[in-house]
Amino acid sequence: MLLDPTFLAIQALNALQLASLLFLLSVGLSVVFGLMNFINLAHGTLYMVGAYLGLVAVRETGSFWLALALAPLGVAVVGAVLHLVLLRHMQRASPMRQVLVTFGLIYVGLDLVRMIWGNYSHGIDPPAAFAGSVQILGETYPAYRLLVICIGAAVLAVLALTLERTRLGAVVRAGVDDRETASAIGLNIDLAFFGVFCLGCALAGLAGVVAAPVLSIHPGMDMSVLVLTLIVVVVGGPGSLLGAVLGSLLVGFVETFGQVLVPEYASMLLYALMALVLILRPGGLVPTRRVVRA
Amino acid sequence: MSSGRGRTAGAAVLAVVAIVAWLSVDYFGYELITEIAILAILAMSLDLLVGFAGMVSLGHAAFYGIGAYAIAAFTTMLGWSALPAMGLAVAVSAAAAMIAGAVAVRLGGVFFIMVTLAIGEAVHAYLFKARAFGGDDGLAGIAHLDLSFVGVDLADPRAFAAFALVVAVVAYAVLEMVVRSPFGRLLVAIHQNERRARALGCRVERVKLGAFTLAGALAGLAGTLTAQHTGFISPELLVWTISGEALIVVIVGGMGSLVGPAAGAAVIVLAKHWVSDWTNYWMLCMGAAFIAVVVLAPNGLYASLRRLHRAAR
Repeated sequence: MLLDPTFLAIQALNALQLASLLFLLSVGLSVVFGLMNFINLAHGTLYMVGAYLGLVAVRETGSFWLALALAPLGVAVVGAVLHLVLLRHMQRASPMRQVLVTFGLIYVGLDLVRMIWGNYSHGIDPPAAFAGSVQILGETYPAYRLLVICIGAAVLAVLALTLERTRLGAVVRAGVDDRETASAIGLNIDLAFFGVFCLGCALAGLAGVVAAPVLSIHPGMDMSVLVLTLIVVVVGGPGSLLGAVLGSLLVGFVETFGQVLVPEYASMLLYALMALVLILRPGGLVPTRRVVRA
Repeated sequence: MSSGRGRTAGAAVLAVVAIVAWLSVDYFGYELITEIAILAILAMSLDLLVGFAGMVSLGHAAFYGIGAYAIAAFTTMLGWSALPAMGLAVAVSAAAAMIAGAVAVRLGGVFFIMVTLAIGEAVHAYLFKARAFGGDDGLAGIAHLDLSFVGVDLADPRAFAAFALVVAVVAYAVLEMVVRSPFGRLLVAIHQNERRARALGCRVERVKLGAFTLAGALAGLAGTLTAQHTGFISPELLVWTISGEALIVVIVGGMGSLVGPAAGAAVIVLAKHWVSDWTNYWMLCMGAAFIAVVVLAPNGLYASLRRLHRAAR
């Protein structure tokens, strides 16, 4: 099975598709962590909210593409409100309390989603242009899954250009590198943080809509994704785009091939990967600074 | 951080309340008392990490579940009697905590939360699929500890509730001894200033790993009680919500006070049964209440009560 090129190609595409979703989820989380040493444990919840908002948008407008644009906006608004109402006030107190508040939000979000949309699964149809399948080495493969990979790659390209070529990107890079100095020379790191936080929320929402035609929409879809995303951040090393890319690819491939080849031990394999990286490189594959012992 | 004398007084009050409750409740009350005692052990063991050592773990249910699975495997698959099974199950939990902790304790703060959450989910996902341990159906038919030589039948809910309370008191006593020992002082020192502790020659990782292992062992002990109580185990015992609930109990009750989390366990179990009577959205209520406590009373109810007590004097 392992040497069959068709099998390998199909599973590699599946792995790339998962990596693409994980990249959308982890990049915002990772850069926010790099900036403020803060991790939003409700990030999976925002992903779930994105999927449900996408469901509503598809039902109301009938257009998947419109949902793809509207749901991330909605999630960004939810994130902005959460930040302004709840999280901002705790920034000075301690990052730990901030994280605990986001942990409480997981419970609240889960029950709110159950309250509004019920306990059962929903689905979204892929857009008509990508509803069919393509031939890969004589095997049929859903075209939509290739679109998922392309969306991840497109977002990566846009983010890389923004981070390297724009003023905002320079501010963010400076903030991750050394927040105190960046603030001292007059850069508004708090504002940059808020911007990156909202962008991260929007990308989580985007991931929710993008994943909806492949995975089902149900309460509880948040946790499995959150754990994978956290592993990506830990493995890649928080604060860098490259770390998020490498982490997503590694976790995407290990998880996909693990589930196919050794389903019982797939979760342990992922944990072993994380442990191995942490032992060899405590700051992740692409360490940015001394966030580990902070 | 609480004072030792304050904790002892609090523990005495809790013990009296527990005895009065045990004497006055009916069948359903014994169920609640047992649940409270088990959650109290889990929460107190987590408090050693969160409150004293400053290690916020979101994967504590892993060791609770491993303890429950170990006693189930030893009694139903190997046919052991409950006493050696219980002892070895606690040892298995400790060993698992030591293995997991060897990686986790090197990490600080927010990283530690993320990694422990991942560990908890990894163990859950493994047991969910492990056919050897019944997969998502779990294992049934776990025997109770045989205490007939002192004339106690633990199959009787009244007796089991008392047994669980006694074990909780023993767990409290062990933890109280630990936090008062030089080892406990080291934990607090590391929590307050890890760099200084390191500079003074303290082997920080080793001390943290010791605490993580002990906490895992006591969580496993709580797990063996749950397995005997219901006679049945499943991966449900290791779901992230259990780890989360234990952490919520610790923080709502009051970190670093041991008796606070024990009282918090009672509050949560009773509130859960009460809220579940009139709404299906228990998690919404608990999450919102937890956020309110973290925002408004970050030191928990124990500290708030002590402040009231002092103001009244």
